[in-house]
Amino acid sequence: MLKTYAQAIGDAMKEEMRNDDNVIVFGEDVAEFGNIFGITRGILEEFGPDRIKNTPISETAIVGSAIGAATVGLRPCIELMYADFALVAFSEIYHSIGKWRFLHGPEYKLPLVIRMAMGSSFGAGAEHSNCVESLFMHAPGLTIVSPSSAYDAKGLLKSAIRSDNPVLFFEHKQLYQTKEEIPEEEYTIPLGVADIKREGTDVTIIAVSLMVKKALEAAEILAEKGISVEVIDPRTLAPFDKDTVFESIRKTHRVVVVEESHKTGGIGAELAAMIQEEMYDELDGPVVRVASLDVPLPYNIEMELHSIPNAEKIVTAVESLF
Amino acid sequence: MTYSKDFLVKVYRDLAELRMFEEKLVEAYAQGKVPGHIHSGMGEEAVYAGTLATTKDGDYYKITHRPVGAAVTLGVSYETAFSEAMGKSTGNSGGRGGINHISELSKGMLGFSGSLGCDAAVGPGAALKIKKDKTDNIVYVYYGDGTSSRGPIHEAMNLAAVWKLPVLFICQNNQFGISTHISRGSSVENPGADRAAGYGMPSKIVDGTDALAVYEATKELVDDIRKGNGPAILEAKAYRWRGHFEGDQTPYRDAKITEEWMKKDCVKIMEKYLLDKKVVTEDEIKAINDELNDEMNKAIEFADNSPAITADEIYDNIYA
Repeated sequence: MLKTYAQAIGDAMKEEMRNDDNVIVFGEDVAEFGNIFGITRGILEEFGPDRIKNTPISETAIVGSAIGAATVGLRPCIELMYADFALVAFSEIYHSIGKWRFLHGPEYKLPLVIRMAMGSSFGAGAEHSNCVESLFMHAPGLTIVSPSSAYDAKGLLKSAIRSDNPVLFFEHKQLYQTKEEIPEEEYTIPLGVADIKREGTDVTIIAVSLMVKKALEAAEILAEKGISVEVIDPRTLAPFDKDTVFESIRKTHRVVVVEESHKTGGIGAELAAMIQEEMYDELDGPVVRVASLDVPLPYNIEMELHSIPNAEKIVTAVESLF
Repeated sequence: MTYSKDFLVKVYRDLAELRMFEEKLVEAYAQGKVPGHIHSGMGEEAVYAGTLATTKDGDYYKITHRPVGAAVTLGVSYETAFSEAMGKSTGNSGGRGGINHISELSKGMLGFSGSLGCDAAVGPGAALKIKKDKTDNIVYVYYGDGTSSRGPIHEAMNLAAVWKLPVLFICQNNQFGISTHISRGSSVENPGADRAAGYGMPSKIVDGTDALAVYEATKELVDDIRKGNGPAILEAKAYRWRGHFEGDQTPYRDAKITEEWMKKDCVKIMEKYLLDKKVVTEDEIKAINDELNDEMNKAIEFADNSPAITADEIYDNIYA
């Protein structure tokens, strides 16, 4: 059945709430309102106010209480609204969530998911548009998921909710209304496994979230120019599926990383460093990064679009390797 | 209030145990057996001994870095506690977490943060499970007067109050946030109790050097919380006898005031009470302390002789 990315995420939550009554949802405006993007609509009606709750605007308490709830056996799937707001609870996520088990011992586990909406969305401005995965990639102990399609979003969220480890789940706002065929039967997608979105032989593009769509557009253009592009979506940024990426590099010997966050200290910075350390002999050229400019995302839409990657910029980056 | 001998001896034993644990820790630290920093809780033992006399099976606890010996009051073995403090493989996290993370879930301990206050909402979160299970258990969340200025404390209290969760917040007011006296960190005299009205919570202020007074004040609040009436704040006033960390010579405060407070020794106060009321004899007091001393010395030796984890084990326990 054709479903949107938004519906797929909502369906994943509902299915897991039916599977396990320890799964609870709380966060900003998730109950009656069904979250500002409509993702959690219908959950209150089906599961009642004990299973889904609006919180005050209190990110540190939302995350902190999820730690307590998860420690004693609930499986909170919480929501911080904008990924930008995760920074309010940065300490709770960076220090507490990622380290809780390490610090306190193997008796402790944190089966919790933090859902957040990220990315540019045509004029939302510099504080409501950020892609912040890379900030959290620096923290040991976190699982970071950033799906690029409705099918992946559903399968990955179900796995995230079933995981005994804390998962940050980044949803791209521009993907919410994209549609994809979703099977009627239940399925999950394992965490930590990348997906080859398009096979190719000349260059590997590692793209994240919305940038997978942009990379696929670029691949079409490049195909017409005679360049065969392989597009890999890591889906899970941490733990990172090196095997799939390295196998592709052994075939193409060229790599471009595409992300929507800022270039400096971003996902591409980490992947470029890791690839040159571990795959240097396989490379026919430098690992090229395509990322957002190092500016606060401008409010003006023309300038916003100028600041983030698009298919054209990806094409140029790929062509620079030939 | 009248008390059974068993109850009184238990409270005394908890006080003496906590004091001795803290003393042994200072000693071990001075001998270079404890890495990092320790934050002695001497002088504040009655806050824990008194509040924890109100617990029942199934309650949860979020303690703090001071005194970390509260973990043994809650049932963590001396071997485990000293091992963790000394960074050994026989600690609860094998020495990965260390002194500020002596914790066992099987004892109801939720864990706690070295970054103070970031763990405040852990209590309300665990309380959601209590609500789901419809028991009359509660969560004890301890925090200090210094931490009371941190935002996550406010968010946790507000959330607990809005959701009417069974949480007792205990403000251990030892009057100092490192070197800063609470009068310079709080615009109100009682940083725990005075703020309760802002959340519509009941509160009590109690002398934190009198374990029985702490018990009685706590019990009143706890009885109410167990009935489902929502969270409350207890503020227990005591004094941090030693520096914030070992080596802190406390040049920022008047030594005479410290001396005055040290006369209000919560262990001695309870001891005198028991002897005056002829609940126990001096011999019994001595026997309790001798036993604690023997057991702790053995545990320290055990920890001292325990191996550290190896380099390839440091990655264990990051992911479940």
